[in-house]
Amino acid sequence: MRTLFRFIQKYSNFLLFLFLETVAVVFIVQDSSFQRSKIIGLNRQVSGYIYHKMNGAREYLSLRQTNEQLALENMELRNRLDRIGLYLDSAVVRSEFRDPYHYQYVPGRVVRNSVFKQYNYITLDRGKKQGVFKDMGVISDEGLVGIVLEASQNFATVIPVINRDFRLSVKMISNNYAGILQWEGDSPRFAVLNEIPFHVNIVEKDTIVTSGFSSIFPEGIQVGTIESFSLDKGNFFEIRVKLTTDFQHLFHVNIIRNYRQEEQLNLEAQTR
Amino acid sequence: MYIIGRNIVRFIVVILFQVLVMDNVLINGYMIPYVYLLFILLMPFETPHWIVLLSGFMLGMGIDLFEHTLGMHTAATVLVAFLRPYFLGLLAPRDGYEPDSFPRIHYYGFLWFLKYTLLVVFLHHFVLFYLEVFQLQNFLSTLLRVILSSALSVSSIVLSQYFVFRK
Repeated sequence: MRTLFRFIQKYSNFLLFLFLETVAVVFIVQDSSFQRSKIIGLNRQVSGYIYHKMNGAREYLSLRQTNEQLALENMELRNRLDRIGLYLDSAVVRSEFRDPYHYQYVPGRVVRNSVFKQYNYITLDRGKKQGVFKDMGVISDEGLVGIVLEASQNFATVIPVINRDFRLSVKMISNNYAGILQWEGDSPRFAVLNEIPFHVNIVEKDTIVTSGFSSIFPEGIQVGTIESFSLDKGNFFEIRVKLTTDFQHLFHVNIIRNYRQEEQLNLEAQTR
Repeated sequence: MYIIGRNIVRFIVVILFQVLVMDNVLINGYMIPYVYLLFILLMPFETPHWIVLLSGFMLGMGIDLFEHTLGMHTAATVLVAFLRPYFLGLLAPRDGYEPDSFPRIHYYGFLWFLKYTLLVVFLHHFVLFYLEVFQLQNFLSTLLRVILSSALSVSSIVLSQYFVFRK
């Protein structure tokens, strides 16, 4: 017994070190996406507030750029309005017009963002109170951003394209072949499109858009352009995609609510 | 008593500075200077080892909570906190460290401080980055990130000695 005490006394610092290190490793190992979002939830109220204030300042500094972006978007929307006017004039009433909401867009702001890590997350200032729930899509004016992972009353965390857990079905615009988009953790400007079979003709600089195969995003949201491709992995292409969204300055986003998501999922569940 | 108070204030300031300012400094989208190690580096020589360990743990936790990287900064920081006395022993001048002095450029010169910072920062970044990637697949590209980030952190920490902690 005495030797045990002597041992503990002698190596107390080393034992303390082992203990603390074990705690840290347990945290890392147990850190699944689910627990991560729960524990962050505890901290979200505090850090959410601080980052909200911080972002106020940063947003002010980039007002000019935001203005330009808004003006561009205005122009685009006005153009679309004109085209819709033509439709309406010709008195063709399509079902989409009678059943107004398929997708609805909720505007939101980024209050917390990271781009340099392997598992990046974004926090938005919209939550359940504003109609933002788990598994809703998030886009910016530039293109695809990510998917809502967890929502509290006033905040939501988003898993962006530049997170190694992210997976989404996307397609090439020229030939409609769909594959899986994921991120390999190198540069926040590039992602990889996998599972395109070797016989497909790939066009460089081709545009990549969402495929609409999930109930999360509508078809045709811009994702990026093909930068390069190779056949390294046997029967499938590995296509490097330049993302249109610049995650390093992301402030305003739109969250997509799909009013027919439930219906679609229910039907699919019944069919299975 | 005065020193304890000063260290507590420094603890808080270092975390806030790291999270609010330094995390927004991104170079190439790859590198970020982790200056919060300053706190461990600048603790007085005679601080009991267990206090260094515990404050390393709390410091890592504080950063982890803000960065949403549960446990990674904690593991890396606790390790360097544990090894700090051995590093100090390794770099000790022939007559040992003088009483009433602190581990700073002001007392032991630029070269000494650079070596000390390099050891601590490189080890910390090495552990941190490999824990983050958690695979040996891209061993070299991760190593490159470790080296570049270490260089950036070390230079920020050394510069801080001339601007903030002059005496």
